[in-house]
Amino acid sequence: MNRLQESAFPPRKRQKVSEPVLTDEERLLFNLIRSRENIGIWTGDMKRETNLPTTVVNKSLKTLISKNMIKEVTTIQNKGRKHYMAKEFMPSEEITGGHFYSDGKLDIDYINSLKDVCLKCIFMQKVSTCEGCLEWIKRSGVFNTEVTTKQMEEILQTLVLDDEITQMISTGFGEFASISVGKTCYISKSKGGVRGEKKTADLTSFPCFSCQRMTFCSPDGTISPATCVYYQKWLDF
Amino acid sequence: MVSQWGIKFAVYLITNHFGKIVAKVCENLLNHGALTLDLAIRYTELSSEHVKNSLLVLIQHNCVQAFVAEGGDDDGSRVKTEYMVLFDNILHRLRFPKFMEIVSGDLDDKCAKIFEGLLRDGRLNMKQMVDRESQGKENAAAAAAVRESLLKLLMARYVERCPLPEARVVEREIITKKRGAKGAQNFKAPETKEQRVIEAAVRGDMIRFSLNADIGCNSDGETNPADTSVAETDAKEDLILWRANFEEFTRHLRDKALVENVRARMDDGAAIVLSAILKATRNKDKEVKIEKSVPLPPDTIFSEVIKTENGRTMTIDRVKAALVQLGCSNQMLYEYVVDLKHIIRWARNEEVESIVLKRYGRDAYRMFRHLSKENQFCPTDKLADATLVEKKEAPKLLYKLWKENYLHMEKLSVTGGNTKPVSILMWKVNQPLLWEHVLDEMYHGALNLKLRMASEQEKEEEIINTPKAKINESVPLLKKYKRLQNVLLLLGSSLMKLDDAIMLFHDF
Repeated sequence: MNRLQESAFPPRKRQKVSEPVLTDEERLLFNLIRSRENIGIWTGDMKRETNLPTTVVNKSLKTLISKNMIKEVTTIQNKGRKHYMAKEFMPSEEITGGHFYSDGKLDIDYINSLKDVCLKCIFMQKVSTCEGCLEWIKRSGVFNTEVTTKQMEEILQTLVLDDEITQMISTGFGEFASISVGKTCYISKSKGGVRGEKKTADLTSFPCFSCQRMTFCSPDGTISPATCVYYQKWLDF
Repeated sequence: MVSQWGIKFAVYLITNHFGKIVAKVCENLLNHGALTLDLAIRYTELSSEHVKNSLLVLIQHNCVQAFVAEGGDDDGSRVKTEYMVLFDNILHRLRFPKFMEIVSGDLDDKCAKIFEGLLRDGRLNMKQMVDRESQGKENAAAAAAVRESLLKLLMARYVERCPLPEARVVEREIITKKRGAKGAQNFKAPETKEQRVIEAAVRGDMIRFSLNADIGCNSDGETNPADTSVAETDAKEDLILWRANFEEFTRHLRDKALVENVRARMDDGAAIVLSAILKATRNKDKEVKIEKSVPLPPDTIFSEVIKTENGRTMTIDRVKAALVQLGCSNQMLYEYVVDLKHIIRWARNEEVESIVLKRYGRDAYRMFRHLSKENQFCPTDKLADATLVEKKEAPKLLYKLWKENYLHMEKLSVTGGNTKPVSILMWKVNQPLLWEHVLDEMYHGALNLKLRMASEQEKEEEIINTPKAKINESVPLLKKYKRLQNVLLLLGSSLMKLDDAIMLFHDF
């Protein structure tokens, strides 16, 4: 997984050895592409900025690719557009979408498995920090790629938003004894029977509040509670 | 202003209880606000007799309050009585079983029976209560026994004297009303006309919960109590009408909701302490919708905590820890104040979030929670990044939420250099507006449950009218009967649960 590589600017070695021979147009285009560093540039913008005809641009691009000097990259904002970048750069987050994107798509399976492992880790340790989770994952060897701190933070934040874990500040006492005071830590929300019963009236147990057609529903309308199929299903004893 | 579905639901309840004519009058009052008798007749297109009687029914059941607006430009010779519908009291009719449960749990059977009569008939005087008690019995019930029960109900504030039959409201009033020197300090201007009318009609606490006919008797002359005979006192007592004090029940249910919420969110200790604080300050707060608890010194809190069985297990340190957990402030003055509004807000949020999760899925739920946590405008891309939602999916989900009024959206046009202006969508959770919308949906849901109940009963009318013995004989009939019973039970219990949520959004 190349998206896990640390540096966006690996040193260029080969170029110093032998500079390929380029035409003026190719040189112009290549310099433009390289000046955009890890953002890259869209063909449309190239034409506008260099004032070269389309055929020349396309031909030059082909040559540059064949000489292994530039590469085509997918952008998250606009997958249909042809986007190019100098070979030595790694696409920035703006282009790829972020840590969890590969080939312009969100890697949902990877995210979900990371979430599961984190939840398990926090549940078993009772209380854990971002570093704690990372350490746990490293030791468990579940993933063969390295998980970065930034990724872990994002995963923990989404778990908080999922209402699966709670973010706390360690007091240094009791269950927080293992964590230094003032550090951000996380505790699991599912503690079995310890937590009080959920107080929400749980409106969702009856059909109306999980129904997306509520705006169309009225006593005499096409959708009405007397004829509603969801009600029928719910009241089917 | 009551929302659209709120009106529909209230009208449905009134139709169910008092028929279509009364409901028509009620609907017009709900839609047009306070009306004079003439206007009510014109709007409803009913005969004056019908409108008059409907208003009387609604007043009897505490759903309408009459008032006279003073201080307008009229010269006073043509004083017009207006009628204002009390939406809250109509909805309270749905909660009678809950109120009954509270009374029977707290007081004896006799009190519960008298209270039941008050709920059924709306308003009763002493003689009517005694007559009701005597019905179907050989010996007439002793007035003294009824008096005693009523006194208990008054002590607990479950029953009150009816408000003034015709309140006087000063138009465009500039806060001038004072109720003693103390009242003036915290007096806030009532917001709506409805509140103003209620405020003007309500009697002072002394009179409101007093059984004694002489105190604040609304007769015209000022008679000296010593001059009146027993017979006169009795006659005067019959002039006083009693009714259930809905405010006390709302308060009771609010306290229960608060404590249960804290129990779910924190632990039993915090719940016990909060319950003690609320008990110790009962009746000290003037309104039901209060933001903060009345300040209490720690000693008072502790002595209230140890009154309960579970509270006795707690040490002072644990009580203090629970107070910290409750986010108590004002320790400098050695008095503790709990932010009740915060608990209510939290409970409302949780309710809304659970709807979002069920209706729009987990990704939408995460984005919604992120927005309500941030409480500021957030662009689509940033939102998708923070919640790890596919960037292509995010706008679709957000649009869906926006279309159904769960989110607020603003379009920003960004121009930079020679590039074309790009429009960015910014999203936000607008809590007050959202809560209003959710409440409206809840009224809609409640109406749906009621309608479904009616349609189920109508469908199975045959079974309802069949004698029980006959049902027991036939297996398919029995099966149908059992199904109907289960259906009605499920619908009924869902309605009560939904009503808890309606109270959370409307009354607390």
